[in-house]
Amino acid sequence: MISGRFVLKRLLLLVPVLLGVASLVFSILHLSPGDPALTIAGNRASEEFVRQIEESLGLNDPIWVQYVDFLVNAAQFQFGESFILFRDASVTSILIDKLPITIELAVYGQLIGISLGIPLGIISAVKQNTLTDHTTRVGALAGISIPIFWSGPLLILLFAQILGWFPTSGRISAIYNVEAIRLTGLLTIDTLLYGEWEMFISAVKHLALPATVIGIYSMALISRMMRSSMLEVIRQDYMRTARAKGQGSKITVLKHGFRNAMIPVITVIGIQFGSLLGGAVLTETVFAIQGIGGLLVEAIRVGDYPIVQGTVLTFAFLFTLVNLGVDITYSILDPRIDQ
Amino acid sequence: MSPETEETSRRNVLTAAGTAAVSVSLAGCLNSSEDPSDGSDSDGNSGEGSDGGESGDGSSGETQLLRYGRGSHSGTIDFQNSTSGEVAKVTVQMYDTLINFEPGASTLTEGLATDYSLEGQTATLTLREDVTFHNGEEFTASDFVATYRRFVDDSYEYYAGDDYVSAYGPFTLGSWIDEIETNGDYEMTIQLTQSYAPFLRNLAMFPSAVHSEAAIEEYGTDLSNTAVGTGPFQLENLDDGNERIRLSAYDDYWGEGPSVDEAIFVTIGQNSTRAQSLASGELDIVDGLGAQASQQVDNASNASLERAEGINIGYMAFNIASVEPFQDRRVRQAVSYAIDTEAIVNEIYAGFATQASQPLPPNVLGHNEDLEPYPYDPEQAQSLLEEAGYGDGFSFELATFQNPRGYNPSPIQTAETVASNLSEIGIDATINQQSFSPYLEYTAQGRHDACFLGWYTDNADPDNFAYVLLHPQVDDQYLSEEQDWVSFDTEGYNTSNRSGWANSEYMDLVEQGQSTYDESQRQTLYQEANAIAREEAPWVYLDYAEELRGVSNRVSGYTVAAISGPYLNLVSLN
Repeated sequence: MISGRFVLKRLLLLVPVLLGVASLVFSILHLSPGDPALTIAGNRASEEFVRQIEESLGLNDPIWVQYVDFLVNAAQFQFGESFILFRDASVTSILIDKLPITIELAVYGQLIGISLGIPLGIISAVKQNTLTDHTTRVGALAGISIPIFWSGPLLILLFAQILGWFPTSGRISAIYNVEAIRLTGLLTIDTLLYGEWEMFISAVKHLALPATVIGIYSMALISRMMRSSMLEVIRQDYMRTARAKGQGSKITVLKHGFRNAMIPVITVIGIQFGSLLGGAVLTETVFAIQGIGGLLVEAIRVGDYPIVQGTVLTFAFLFTLVNLGVDITYSILDPRIDQ
Repeated sequence: MSPETEETSRRNVLTAAGTAAVSVSLAGCLNSSEDPSDGSDSDGNSGEGSDGGESGDGSSGETQLLRYGRGSHSGTIDFQNSTSGEVAKVTVQMYDTLINFEPGASTLTEGLATDYSLEGQTATLTLREDVTFHNGEEFTASDFVATYRRFVDDSYEYYAGDDYVSAYGPFTLGSWIDEIETNGDYEMTIQLTQSYAPFLRNLAMFPSAVHSEAAIEEYGTDLSNTAVGTGPFQLENLDDGNERIRLSAYDDYWGEGPSVDEAIFVTIGQNSTRAQSLASGELDIVDGLGAQASQQVDNASNASLERAEGINIGYMAFNIASVEPFQDRRVRQAVSYAIDTEAIVNEIYAGFATQASQPLPPNVLGHNEDLEPYPYDPEQAQSLLEEAGYGDGFSFELATFQNPRGYNPSPIQTAETVASNLSEIGIDATINQQSFSPYLEYTAQGRHDACFLGWYTDNADPDNFAYVLLHPQVDDQYLSEEQDWVSFDTEGYNTSNRSGWANSEYMDLVEQGQSTYDESQRQTLYQEANAIAREEAPWVYLDYAEELRGVSNRVSGYTVAAISGPYLNLVSLN
């Protein structure tokens, strides 16, 4: 049962969190050196031209006026217009373009992580302290420890350069005009909806390596959690009772153990999904995928403040939303949390 | 709550969640099937000019598609909206200028104007007839006038706005043009505010291209994401999400080509990934390669590295006003002798650049062949320092940007080499590294002691280096005979001159060069100016970087251009 009061309480808690993030982003950007007007105007601009730009962007207003403007606009999901990367385009529309790209990557990464992590965790737990268990655990440890900026290029080198099975970068081959079939912005979905099989295959091939890189990390975390949770469950009295009643060990594990062991794992999956968005920054850079992760890096590099602000706030918003979802799910699975 | 009810409620929630997910995705399908053209941005379509069919959705196998890979996307496709070279690469495919650069050279040739001349303060142009825009409108002189006014004239109804137009508005046109007169549809005279030799070259720059007057009136600032030009390619779609720009051949193009059906600009931020994509056959041409990625391309079996002399310079500027020792020419020369630019060019820049000897790179009128780069000679440096009274050395702060630039692919490493070279003659240089944007501000305010910077030419005119980068442009009253420098806070100071150098003899020569139209006379003036600039050493001349492109073996007809281009209309695919 979901308590309305619980959800409301959690929703209200979002406000100070987002306000904090917004203030932090605003102050960091305004404290950092570099004059946006000069950046926009470029090398060729006269002093007068730079002043004109400052004026038209409202950069001459007192800082608190700019801050209040920013908060009021941000509350309506308006982050102004891009200075440089997408001259004069609204940041909101850029984020709408880019968000599906990152979400698609995160979802497939997570699917890979779940579909590998859960079975590996169960096997590891059931065969505790055997060679299989040790191998899985070492594998999981390695998966958590290997940074994406290392594993990414390595996969590219092996699977794209040497074996030539997958493309090196991007989301789909350049020959396909994806704008013509844009519906959700998720290529694997759009191509299917339009029945474009060749495009679908191209999209999947392009997605394989980056999703795997993200998936490896996620898999490692999930399998470790699954293993420890499963080990705990296996030792419970009801499991022993089930076995004593003569049920086969496989059925016991899958029917009684699995469900109960999943509770903490679901939490991890939820939280992990949030941090996948962060992992996207690296993955997108390595694989030249133009999602909001890559956008953020590029915007910081050239000093496109409205995009930096918009992107960071969107990240924060998604992260808190996912966590809220996790909290709610958790309270459903274990009503004791509800209080 | 009994275990059973708990079980049930959990199952219900899961079922409910599943149903919700299904209904959401169904809603998505239904919505879309009702209105397939619906989308957040309906812009970027090819518009009326094309047959409207959604070709190139993968099914047409015969389409010849040229794939161009680069490091950054163009956030706008309006040449009046940005000074960025990335923007120029795309706009030159769709728009024409009145005058063109010869592909792969820095000489001028006819564009939308078939005849052009500059005498005194008057430029006269005869325009090409039978040229049509992608929207079917005929090109006439009034299109150029409307384009110009949209760029710089705030009294014009369709002026694009102070926060829209780029600094190129005044820099290339506005500061020099007094009035434009048209005589019929195909004759035009432009009155200049002063005699200005580079003017015709400014007309060949990408920001001087021509919009259609009808499009200006119809789209206004929406031309940042839609395009109506006269160029060889027209916009098929602008995919900001995936950072791709797809162009299709314009069949009624007046000039040569294009011989491919479509061209696409693809963004791949990392140099090495871009080089890999070329090597694996996913791209046809890539640019923006650093030394390392160039070697990657060089080793690829199905692509080759094409090199051309660039029109740029990388330098270290002394802030003469703020560091006393730098006010002595001998100290500046000593530093120039002490820095091993040969080693920097060969080792740090991996041989993809040549040592610089003077402000003007080769290929630019007035480059003085007789001038040699300062040789690496620490002994000479030491004795010059002693002569100047700084035998025990001194210390200063060397400012540098961090990210690679074309003219300086490894700024930090270069700075370290310079610091280590200078320590040999007792000069202590402390490195202050910053990211590019704050760095530009820091150095433009003259807060540096010495700084690295460089310049890519706009129009391949000597004035674009000699006047823009080393002339203070201040009123005569601020200059004096005794000193050859001014401080950055002097009224009207040209901050593109990061050295504060104000040598009257040099200034005189480049001012004359600016208003002299006779080529050989001009050449002599700039050669003399260069000799002074080398001798007086307001900069340490570091390098002229090469232009590097990775080109697939299936590409023919591609010329590496140091200015303007890429000329994709001349490219064919095997």
